[in-house]
Parts: sequence; structure tokens; C-alpha cells
Amino acid sequence: MTENPLHKFFQTKSMAIFGASASKDKPGFVIAENFINNFDGKTILVNHKGGEILGQPVYKTLEEVEGPVEAATIIIPAKYVPAAMEDCAKKGVKSVTIISGGFKEIGEEGIKLQQQIDTIAKEHDIRIIGPNCIGLFYPKRGLDMVFLPEEKLKRPTEGGISILSQSGAFGSAFLDIMGSLGKGNYLSKFVSFGNASDINEADILEYFGEDPETKIILIYLEGFKDGRRFIETARKVSLKKPIIAIKANRTEAGARAVASHTASLAANDDVTEALFKEAGIIRAYTWDNLFDCMKAFNSTLLPKGNQVLVITDGGGAGVMASDAIGLLGLELADLSPEIEKKMKEDLPPYFSVANPIDLTGSATAKEYLYALEQTINDPAVDSITFIIIPTPPAINVKELMEGLKPYAKSINKTVTFCAIGGEEALYIREELEQMNFPFYPTPARSVYGIGILTEYADYLRTHGQELPVIRETPK
Amino acid sequence: MVDTNKIPEPFATAYNEGRYFLLEHEALKVFESIGVIFPPNKLVKNVDEAVTFAKKIGYPVVIKAMSPKILHKSDYKAVIIGIDSDEALKNQFNDMESRLKKHDLVGILVEKQVKKGTEILIGMNIDPTFGPVVAFGIGGILVEAIGDVSFRVCPTTKERALRLIGEIKTQKLLNGFRGLPPVDRDALAEMIVQVSQLAIDLDKYIKEIDLNPVIANEDGVYGVDARIILKELK
Repeated sequence: MTENPLHKFFQTKSMAIFGASASKDKPGFVIAENFINNFDGKTILVNHKGGEILGQPVYKTLEEVEGPVEAATIIIPAKYVPAAMEDCAKKGVKSVTIISGGFKEIGEEGIKLQQQIDTIAKEHDIRIIGPNCIGLFYPKRGLDMVFLPEEKLKRPTEGGISILSQSGAFGSAFLDIMGSLGKGNYLSKFVSFGNASDINEADILEYFGEDPETKIILIYLEGFKDGRRFIETARKVSLKKPIIAIKANRTEAGARAVASHTASLAANDDVTEALFKEAGIIRAYTWDNLFDCMKAFNSTLLPKGNQVLVITDGGGAGVMASDAIGLLGLELADLSPEIEKKMKEDLPPYFSVANPIDLTGSATAKEYLYALEQTINDPAVDSITFIIIPTPPAINVKELMEGLKPYAKSINKTVTFCAIGGEEALYIREELEQMNFPFYPTPARSVYGIGILTEYADYLRTHGQELPVIRETPK
Repeated sequence: MVDTNKIPEPFATAYNEGRYFLLEHEALKVFESIGVIFPPNKLVKNVDEAVTFAKKIGYPVVIKAMSPKILHKSDYKAVIIGIDSDEALKNQFNDMESRLKKHDLVGILVEKQVKKGTEILIGMNIDPTFGPVVAFGIGGILVEAIGDVSFRVCPTTKERALRLIGEIKTQKLLNGFRGLPPVDRDALAEMIVQVSQLAIDLDKYIKEIDLNPVIANEDGVYGVDARIILKELK
């Protein structure tokens, strides 16, 4: 089997940065700074002006550099990129990421330039990511080509999620939000591939599929370079790890918008929809969907079936959750009779011990925790959505959160959480994120998380696969 | 000019005549060769042959005009269904022949009319992004109104085809609607696999396939109308 070309990009021991800049507001400075401060390999700064950046020497060409250079990041005006490529070729650089725009996406002149770099790459066995992209980010090694400064784009913490994004802006916004989620297991690897003159979506998906550090794959695509291989690769990868994808550019209006964006052609969306299903790809349609899926897969377990239990203190919230359960083809679980009987004996008679379990406005933290304790091991329940309306006077949310902490270590069932409200709901969210539990702002989204996990678990089961455990226990 | 000697029949004939589609009786032979079942049928040249064949297979029968000039038969009233006697067959046959002979009629296809059933579509087209894909959905005249079709990459497997059948929205129609028996999903899945394989085996020639309708009734699953559109030769 030939090695996937992405391997060399992520495991390179040295990185040359063409267009490293001393002006702080230039992307070439941000990237140079990222590498100097964080990269665990050798950083080589290149700029025809020479000089020094952050105390590091700047080479005019790679020829001046002693020892081998394996990879390069290019962020210089498009018309100089072919010369930089020639420089790389001479030095034996094999993995080049071209951040610069001004290629295929701008029309004829750019197409010619892109052809020029492709020709040089082919002649010298150089693999290219980009052009017109924001490149790679791999926090574990401090390999960070994202030219947006840390104070503007907070980098997410390390985890098992890998992202491939055709759009640089979408990708960086996603990273930014992920970064704002606070401590938790988030990012393994990020690739923005822009025009994909060489390495395309299918190559990257294959790499993420093989990569042991990647547990969840998130994808943003507008078009395909190699749709058939993408589907065939996804079919294999989805049996091992979940692939969640946005395929934008769904409508004709969208198709017009893309002509001037990453210059790709729209495919018939009905076919895309069907083939995603065939390949076991979980399709997200909106930004919210993508995040909701990410949280579900990252922070809870895959359910063994479609029986869902709702625990709440709000009748209305329970009804809305039940509606969502019906709409998504899930079922309200019937509690095992002995568990139901015991709960009825133990709880005040005005509580509704059915499904939803309604603890009413007089609920306390103790009763919430009691309901969870009784049902968490009920074999008749495959997943639980825990909906907290924190406003009733008797609930001490702090006590409730403390009581949930042991579950963060021991949980063996799918659980999603929802808190509706203001400040206390925000507090609950933060606490739950610390416990690596999936938090949702509405009952419907909390159930959607369960729905998407149930669907994927069902796909795995019907394809003869075991259910992987992705969630990491918080420290 | 491409050497059509190396092209298998009936494609060679079509290309030699400058046609980019197969006549239905030609398409039937292609489908029958891969195991798709059609009701008993025969291309006849005159009314006596038609009556003899109809007597053998039993009424009711359907007749269809075969002409290189006619791709969309409904535009020419080139299909007559529900013919239930020798006399009716003679009348309809003679009428069709006199109406359509000016369109280079190569013959008339006599086909046993199948019992009422659920009308299905199985097709294939070449998607610009994903290449050849096989389609399955609700067929007949409702195709465009309902638009309930799903797809798989060609070639596909039986498991995938069964999933495809389970994926369309109007499952009710497949499960036996208004007194019709439930469709034979297994037989349909096999037909989907056969069509998807045909698209790969003959990918030099075939651009699009339409089996619409396929009728699933109490006796089994039958192709009823078949169309194969050809690629231009390079």
C-alpha cells in the first residue's frame, strides 16, 4: 500500500516558510511566529529581503540552508510562487502547502499560474495542498499555518476531531468556535485545501481514516474533485469512525455563488444526498447541525437502540422533546416495571413517573440525581436526554452539577443535556463541558444529538461493526 | 468513422443507422440477456403473426410501434394497451400500422399485458460528479409529480440495493397499497444490481437507462417499458 501523501505533511521534521515577514500585521508574520513559538521541528524562514524575524535568520533562498528541508509553506504573491516551487524542487522539498490566492479562482491568468506550479510539482514528485487555502493546523506538534493571530482566533485544545474544509473562512470560524468551548478534547488535525490543485478531499479523508489520532471527521465541501473516490473512501472509513459533512452549494442559487468562490461545479444534490447515505456519511445541513453532531459524537456514547428517556422538570420541555423523538424516528422508552414501581414509591405522588419523567416545578437537585441514578442502568432505556429548567426555587444547580460529576467518569449510556434559560443555564453549560457531556440549548437539539448517534449506531450494527467508544473520560 | 464491426449487437445496428437509442425490442434483448424479466413478447411484421402470438400467450396484450423515428412513444400514440380479443387486436394493429408506417416502422411489438401492480422506476444515468449511478423510485406517470427517487453508485450490491429500496419516502406504496400485494423487494434488488452492472459492462455505449415502469404484482416483478440511450462514439 502506498503511503498517503498527508502523512509527510503532518510528520515533517522541518518547515520552510516562504514569505515570512517582519511586519506584524502580515499573514507571513503570524505563520512565522506560530512556527517559531510552537513547532517541534525545525523552522526555516525564507524571504528574498533576508534579515531577521523574532531573532531568527531569514534566508533568501533554500540554497543557503544547511541540511535537508522536507516541507514548505508558501505565502507570497501568486506570480512568485512558481519560482519558490523551483527553489523547493532544487532543495528536495516534497510537501508544499500554498496559502496564496490568485490562481484558478481568479480566471485565466491564475489558471496559467496554477498549471505552471502543477507542472513543476509533477516533474519533481512534489505534493501540493492548496493553493488559496489556510493550510494545516496540528496542535500536537505546533504545526500551525493558520495566518490568523491567536488573539483573534483562539486555537482549540487537542483531541480526536479532524477537520477538512474547502473553505478557509468557514474552517477558521469553526476552529474559533471550537477554541471558545474551553477545556476539552477537541482538535487533532485541520486541513483547508482550497483549490485542490493536487491533494483533494478524497486523499484527506483517506488519511483521516487511517490516522489513529483521528476519532471523528468533520467536513465542509462545496464541490468535489473526485466524488467517486470520496464516496468509496467514505464507505470504508465510516465503518471505523463517524464522518460528519456539510456539502454546501445545494441549490441553484448556491451554484451561482460558487462560480466566483473556490471555482467548483455543483453536483445534483439528490444524488449527493443518496450517496452520502450509502457511504454512511452523516450529513449536516447547517452550522448548528455540524456543531450538534460534533458534540454528540465527541462527548457521549453510541446508543444500543432507539429507546429514549426524557428526564425534566418542565412539562412543556418534555412535550417538545417527545415531539422531536417522534419526528426523528426514535421511540419513548417504557421503563422496566420494577424500576418504575420503585420510583413511584420513592418520589412524591405529584411527580409523573412515566416517560417523560416530569419532576415538576418543585424538583430538587437530589430528585434529579435520583431519577438519573434509577434509570441509568435500566436496560429498557438506550439513551437519556436530561432537560433542566433551572428557574424553580428548589433546584440548587450547583448541587446538581456536583452530583453529576461522578457520572462523567462512570457513564455507560448515551446521555445528552439541555438547560433552558439565562445565567444559570450558562453556568450549567460550562460545568457540563468540563465533564465532557454534550450540552444543547433546546430540547429539540438535545434529542437531535441522540437521533444522529442512534442512526450511526444502527448503520454500524447493520454493517456488522462494533460500536466504538469515542468519548474521553475527563481528568 | 468508428469501426462498428467491433461493437456488439444491437448497438452496432443503432450506430450504423445513426441512432443514439435502442428500439424497445432491441433494449428488451439486452435486458433479458442479463436476467431482467419481461412479459412474453415478440416483434411481428403482420397482423396474422400478431394474432398467432397473442393466442399463444393469451389476452390481454399490449402493442407497441417500433420505429427509429419514435423515441417518445406517447407522442405518437404508439402504445395500445388492454387488447382482449382477436378482433380488437386486428383493428388496433391495422390502425397503428396505417397511422405510423410513414415513420419507418420496423415492426410492432406484441407483449402480454401484466396484471395491475405497483409501478416502479429503475434507471441509470451518469452523474457529472459521481459517475454512473443507478436510480430507484416510484415509477409510472407519477415519477415527476412525486419525485421520490434515490441512488447508488454503479455497480452496486444486493445489500446496498435493498437499503436503497428502503430509503425512498413512499414506503407505503411498496408495502401493498389499496389492495395491491407488497412488492418483492428481493427481486427488485436483484434487478437494480443487474442494471447497475450492465451500466459498467457496457459503459462504452450506454449513457442512460430507463426501466419505467417496472411492475411489481402478485406474480413477480416485470420490466414493462425499457429505454437505453447511447453515448456518442468517440
